[in-house]
Amino acid sequence: MHPILSHRGRLLGYLLLWVTFGALLAAVIAVTGEASLRWAELFAMPLAVLMGLECLPCWYLVRGMAPEEVPLWRLIGTWLGSGCVLLSLWLGAATLWARVLKFAALTPNVDPGMLVPLLVFAGSGGVLMAILGLYAAAALDRSRDSERRALELRALAREAEMSFLRRQLDPHFLFNSLNSVAALISSDAVAARRMCLLMADFFRKSLKFGAQQSIALAEELKLIETFLAIEKVRFGERLQHSLDVTEEALNMTVPALLLQPLVENAVHHGIAHLIEGGEIRIGAKVRGNLLDVTVENSCDPERPPSRGTGLGLANVRGRVESMYGTRARMDVETETNRFRVLLALPASPAEAPPCAS
Amino acid sequence: MRILIVDDESLARSYLVEQLANEADVEITGQAANGFDAVKMAEELPCDLMLLDVQMPKLSGFEVMELLGARAPAVIFVTAHDEFAVQAFQIHAVDYLLKPVEPARLQQALQRARERLRDPVTSRAALSTQVALAARPPGQWLERLVIREGTRVHVLGSHTVDFIEAQDDYLVIAAAGRRYRKQQTLGQLEAQLDPKRFVRIHRSFVLNVERIARIEPYAKDSWQIFLSDGSHLPMSRSGYQRLKAVLD
Repeated sequence: MHPILSHRGRLLGYLLLWVTFGALLAAVIAVTGEASLRWAELFAMPLAVLMGLECLPCWYLVRGMAPEEVPLWRLIGTWLGSGCVLLSLWLGAATLWARVLKFAALTPNVDPGMLVPLLVFAGSGGVLMAILGLYAAAALDRSRDSERRALELRALAREAEMSFLRRQLDPHFLFNSLNSVAALISSDAVAARRMCLLMADFFRKSLKFGAQQSIALAEELKLIETFLAIEKVRFGERLQHSLDVTEEALNMTVPALLLQPLVENAVHHGIAHLIEGGEIRIGAKVRGNLLDVTVENSCDPERPPSRGTGLGLANVRGRVESMYGTRARMDVETETNRFRVLLALPASPAEAPPCAS
Repeated sequence: MRILIVDDESLARSYLVEQLANEADVEITGQAANGFDAVKMAEELPCDLMLLDVQMPKLSGFEVMELLGARAPAVIFVTAHDEFAVQAFQIHAVDYLLKPVEPARLQQALQRARERLRDPVTSRAALSTQVALAARPPGQWLERLVIREGTRVHVLGSHTVDFIEAQDDYLVIAAAGRRYRKQQTLGQLEAQLDPKRFVRIHRSFVLNVERIARIEPYAKDSWQIFLSDGSHLPMSRSGYQRLKAVLD
């Protein structure tokens, strides 16, 4: 969008500036005594407006050649060239106009040749002013644009965080955990305090990771361990878990909070439906250029087919697909009493090894 | 007031025990960690009131109520989920408490239970049919059927059911090569099942349409449906139209 052509008000203001320029030029011509003021006005005003119009397309050059992005020699070369073209066109027009005026016999005894040095000087000044003005406008435009984009980005990030909260923090998980705390306070105050700290740790980490694209597998596993520690307070002996993760795999990156929902599924749709409870097994290893992750849990053999787990798994699948496309795969295997999710993600090492705390 | 506490989390149970210790007239008859135990305990040790969790392994709180039927004591549901409240009041629950349970709220619920128990008219009358009707999550079709056989409880996934036949005052449910008896009317059960899968093909038969092997005309305005296991069921004219509407 052209900043001047797209607004009628701005175009009028712009042309008014050039009319002023024309008036100044006419005054100078009259003062040098080459012609009468009336002739000078008749001569200079249309030429000034013409120069204004001539300079308008320069906007597209200005926008394409930001001074910080283009080498200086190219910047100077381009503008010298276009300046000369603009100026010659304008001088040609001026000569033609003087002839027309002479032919119309409006003013005798003016020799346009005498005006050439003055016109060259004024024309160069005009073109220079126009280019600098357009650069100023472009800079203003860009700063406004980047401000808006920064605002938009911040809004998007905030929205992502909020939708993460809604999606991630199952309110029943929160309420059940709080119920456990309420129960522990009188019977085992130390355990109640530990539970509060675990919950704080879990929520803080979830929020932090929710704002990140990817994290080291080690970080994600720490969050999962915290989650399982909280759920073990609720489920007691019924919930068992084991980890089988290679040292190499720990340093690989995974999409943040991709695995936690799988483990949550394993607890709420697997273990929670078993009277005697069961085990969750989490495994990860690097295989060639792939990171293999498995989350496996015991489940009720009499469960109705695909109960409730569908949505959580679909979310994980959707994220994997949008992040990696065909470079990753996710498989779900069900046996009578086992449920297994297998992920194969492109293996990429985390930049800094996770701190060993 | 004799109370049975049912919750699969031991901490949740001990929290309720602790809160009930302040009530002079309360006697805790037992604590059950799952629905099966709850049904057994409620029958062996008579109680006036159950504090009942909803989401438990194998049997939900609502299924426990269904199995106990007319013998069910008054019930207060205690759960972290708020979405079952309507269903709970449909089966005349005394109250519906959300976890974590506020002590004052629990006392209020107990007070309501005392009033309910003092007034037998509003208590259990005509509850069992209501219970059966409401025993499914809101907006969903029944995913499993609970059936008592003496002291045993069977939980059948509704997808395993072949067909249901109405006998005199009970139902025969054919599932996974076996027959089960259930005290309910065919209309009630039919209303709870997914109508895309279960069709009333005859006055006394509801059929799982996935079991149909072939259909043969039998007489004028009647058909025979052969199931994949070789057995066959009669289909009436209106049954034929209902089946056609589902299969089309």
